[in-house]
Amino acid sequence: MLQEVRVITKKNLPDSKGEEVLYDIIHALSINSVQKVRTARVFRFEGIGAGEAALLAEKLLAEDVFQEYKVNGPVITDANVVLEVAYKPGVMNPEAASLMKAAADLGITGLMAADSSWEYGFYGNTITSADVERITSSLLVNATVEYIVQERPKTLVIHGTPGRMEMIPVRQMSDDELLELSRDKLFLNLEEMQVIKDYFLRIGRDPTDIEIETIAQTWSEHCGHKTFKARLIVDGQEKKPLLKRLQNATEDSKHPLVLSAFVDNSGAMEFYDGQAICGKVETHNSPSAIEPYGGAMTGSGGVFRDIVGTGRGAKVLASTDMFCFARPDTPEEDIPAGCLRPHYLLRRVVAGVRDYGNRMGIPTNNGSVHFHRDFRAKPSVIVGAYGILPAELCRKGRPRPGDLVVSLGGRTGRDGIHGATFSSGEMTDRTIDVNSSAVQIGHPIEEKRTFDAILAARDEGLIRAITDCGAGGFASAIGEMGEEVGARIALDRAPLKYPGLAPWEILESESQERMVLAAAPENVDRLMEICQGYNVEATVLGEFTGDRCFSATYEGQEVMNLEMAFLHNGLPQRVMQAAWRPTVYEEPPAVATADWVQLYCRVMGHINTCSKEPIVRQYDHGVQGTSALPPFTGTGCDGPNDAAIMTPILGKPYGMVISHGLNPVLNMIDPYQGSLWAAAEAVSNAVASGASPRDLVLMDNFIWPFPDEELLGALDLAVDACVDFVRATGMPFISGKDSLSSTYRGKDGTVIKIPPILCISAFGRIPDVSRTVSADFKKAGSQIVLVGHRNTSEMAGSIYYDILEYLGNNLPRLSPTALMQVFEAVYEAISSGKILACHDLSEGGLAAGLAEMCFGGSVGAQVEIPDKELAENFLFNETAGCFLAELPAEENPSDVFGAVPCQVIGKTTTGSSISAVQAGGLLFEVELNKLKEAWQQPMREVFRQ
Amino acid sequence: MKKPRVCILRTDGINCDEETFYAFEKAGAESQMVHVNQLRSKEKQLADFHILALPGGFSYGDDVHSGKILAVELTSFLKEQLSEFVSAGKLMIGICNGFQVLVRTGLLPNQRLGKIEAALTANDSGHFECRWVTLLVEHSHCVFTRGMEGSLIDIQVAHGEGKFYTDPSVIEKIEQNDQVVFRYAGIDGRPASLYPANPNGSLNAIAGICDSTGRIMGMMPHPERHVEKTHHPNWRRMPKSTVPPHGLAVFRNAVEYANQM
Repeated sequence: MLQEVRVITKKNLPDSKGEEVLYDIIHALSINSVQKVRTARVFRFEGIGAGEAALLAEKLLAEDVFQEYKVNGPVITDANVVLEVAYKPGVMNPEAASLMKAAADLGITGLMAADSSWEYGFYGNTITSADVERITSSLLVNATVEYIVQERPKTLVIHGTPGRMEMIPVRQMSDDELLELSRDKLFLNLEEMQVIKDYFLRIGRDPTDIEIETIAQTWSEHCGHKTFKARLIVDGQEKKPLLKRLQNATEDSKHPLVLSAFVDNSGAMEFYDGQAICGKVETHNSPSAIEPYGGAMTGSGGVFRDIVGTGRGAKVLASTDMFCFARPDTPEEDIPAGCLRPHYLLRRVVAGVRDYGNRMGIPTNNGSVHFHRDFRAKPSVIVGAYGILPAELCRKGRPRPGDLVVSLGGRTGRDGIHGATFSSGEMTDRTIDVNSSAVQIGHPIEEKRTFDAILAARDEGLIRAITDCGAGGFASAIGEMGEEVGARIALDRAPLKYPGLAPWEILESESQERMVLAAAPENVDRLMEICQGYNVEATVLGEFTGDRCFSATYEGQEVMNLEMAFLHNGLPQRVMQAAWRPTVYEEPPAVATADWVQLYCRVMGHINTCSKEPIVRQYDHGVQGTSALPPFTGTGCDGPNDAAIMTPILGKPYGMVISHGLNPVLNMIDPYQGSLWAAAEAVSNAVASGASPRDLVLMDNFIWPFPDEELLGALDLAVDACVDFVRATGMPFISGKDSLSSTYRGKDGTVIKIPPILCISAFGRIPDVSRTVSADFKKAGSQIVLVGHRNTSEMAGSIYYDILEYLGNNLPRLSPTALMQVFEAVYEAISSGKILACHDLSEGGLAAGLAEMCFGGSVGAQVEIPDKELAENFLFNETAGCFLAELPAEENPSDVFGAVPCQVIGKTTTGSSISAVQAGGLLFEVELNKLKEAWQQPMREVFRQ
Repeated sequence: MKKPRVCILRTDGINCDEETFYAFEKAGAESQMVHVNQLRSKEKQLADFHILALPGGFSYGDDVHSGKILAVELTSFLKEQLSEFVSAGKLMIGICNGFQVLVRTGLLPNQRLGKIEAALTANDSGHFECRWVTLLVEHSHCVFTRGMEGSLIDIQVAHGEGKFYTDPSVIEKIEQNDQVVFRYAGIDGRPASLYPANPNGSLNAIAGICDSTGRIMGMMPHPERHVEKTHHPNWRRMPKSTVPPHGLAVFRNAVEYANQM
């Protein structure tokens, strides 16, 4: 029988987890029948007696300074409702391994399995079963991975016998049968299924299930990027494939610092001291939509592995996160079937990013959150990672015939089966049931120690090539690594989390925290020794052969033998039609602002302008000791900055700068201008902090609804914008990713396309971080200078229009060539040390930027609005590539900024308010505290701060 | 003169090892990364070092309790090595997760290996928090803060379980014996009981303590994250010529003391 130990915090002490849950019950669910929540840990052990369980309770599980425990008995006895939430069997609980280790360290033998879970006690005499149902389903239990424990489990050991390999008789299949085979499983279209059928007709045999699965995931949109590689017919005219255009623009830019672009898990540029820096940004929407915590964790874990899997292995320096959700207060009835509540999604995604990055010791120091109603069907979770490695190791390694295939890190389980194909499919109200296996709980400590071992092995020169196991698992990692030579592996050698996996599941499993290396045979012993020293499991799965085939055996029997040529080049190039038709969105009628103070506060408090500090504070942004410009600075450390700057080489002044830009709304109005805006915003953020535009590179992430003709036309324009930006500024894209599946189809026929997003990330190098600035005003009496080109009548998509409940069509139109001159001028001004503070204008416009600079500096400001300007437009226009700069009174702006447009709009004051005058009259004066309160309130409410 | 040797202890999930390594090197010591497995296998000996540093991170994922699994491992396998190290009059510093480990081994507050007398529990706020705080350096026996007593320093905290808690009797003893090394302070420079100045709700605003000898010290804030001018979030607001970064003094004091050994 299982031994149970329950541990609870003493009654007289605060139960902060319980208080957190209670807060959500009241604020997120508006349930008032619960007065108090108490929480307890439940630990279960198999294979030991009650005596040993008591010993574990004493020495490991409970600390009598603040806790009490019971062996095989309840600890919450007086609550009105008590329920326990545990991971479903088969979902690996990361804590279990630590329980086993500590028990062994304490000399306890015979422990076969351990598990842990949470128990909740709810207090309140009027709690209804309906309340409990909502609390569990909306807050405590994610049915994808968790369940409510009704009775004590009989065993914790997962049994299972491997499913047998099957032959798939594709050669006899009709078109309908081919499509049925593809549906919910392979996500390939009929033409692609027919190509597979023809191939096996040609070689005269039927495929195994493993072969079909391997082809399907290699050919999935996620891995194959079929749309980006397709022949494109735009309005009847053929254009180059999207990916080609981006890659050509990068090649043509001949940027002197680019070391590796579009060929590796991340793109790399030259840093200093013989080092290279690299970056990668990924989307992780589909898993996050059905299990936000695990989804966000595996998103972070995956992009970190892309960094360590770059060249011959890089060290991860930083993590970024960009989210798009529906408003947290979206009413329940507004949420489509099969979708989770945005309030829950936002909080759980933040928790996932937090718990993975913090535990890995990777600073999360740049990001943003965007809200729009149409994200209610599917959120966008964008995670980035950046790294450093010796420049001579930054190019992708190539395995040689005879090299061994070594897997490192976590074990293989039934996690994420069909993740690659799944994330390429559309989200439907069946998604949660059909694909629930596509998420797991990440294990950051496993990944951390694996990275520690890899970097040690790299420094001893033991790694010939390395890549990560992401979408498609071993099949994708080994299939890609061995593309030119061929690889043969024995699937039964792979260490499993539990028995019962069929051969195809072992090959396709997307269990996290796994890396694959190619190592010369003579180096493998030392590699194993290093891994053992870091408690990392490493296994030789097979070897790179030289026969240009991808083959696998299971218990001696061959279960797969595919030609690499067919696997990687057999996919027919799609021919796709694109035609974008602009929608006309009405412009608002001119309204005279009655209450300026109220309007200013509404702009600052708008969910897309408001402070995201409560999120940022949950991320460790100081770990690694590299921070030189954190997300928030200023007298109260609550003034936001535009970019993150780090000094990756401790003790050296060399800086790495990271920033990004995106604006879903502008992309809806005009994909071309919206995309230019994103690029301009990303670069402006870096430049506003002191980076030179010549030392920056870019990364693109296209998150698009399923590309029908219309949306493909939009995508075509977005790519054109990127290419034009590169050609005008010389800043190349060196990495990118597309995720073209953010369409929702409900069974009632409802179709929701989330707004198309182009997220552009920028990173680069700075020779000396002492020549950078923060956004907080430094003193009173300075000139406030507006720098950049803008036509203030271009207000479409602005926060101001959103408050008027209009979208508009007349959006900011940017000229990349003109932008580049502004970037150069701002960089010169900052690096010459003349600028005290600088902030770029984005959501909320000049007014929001000004207020944020005042918050940071605890100084007031007086602004004079030119008579010819419409005050609303002057204050709230959101043209990217414009900057507010603090210039000492004695400096002459035109000396500092040269030819680019710059105007003194006012000065900083010792006061505690912002005032604006126009035509000699006072337009308004508003207290900073009032603005700050409005600006900080929204996220404080969501995150209880 | 030979530099004092510092053992930077690593294991699964420790992640502030490199900056701690750097802080000691910058302070004039010779740092060495040592994995706990190397001590268990006797491949390396604690006795060869003058200072043992337990860096921050999430050792073994902070499963069950923060720092607990590593504390159990140390008390199960390295009891002798640790006792000898302590009785040899050598120095130990635990930062963040390292502080949690020292408390859960019983080395803090009273050098009783295996006897837990205090705890670092979940922040009152209920979640992990990363922010800069002001610390009041108390008058104590602590060798790590010599010459800093009475000053206010800016250091970053980054933890989810940093609330110092123990029985009134233990607190009283710690206070009487001047074992409180750092307290969270408000703008007025006085000990802060309220969030966010006191980021976790620690009793008596305690941010760091030492043992009765002052040679074993643990603190939740991260001094290794303030050993460069540019580490401070507001270094751009500071006068050009300013005092050395606040965290560096802690490591210099350790090195200076070890030099006398």
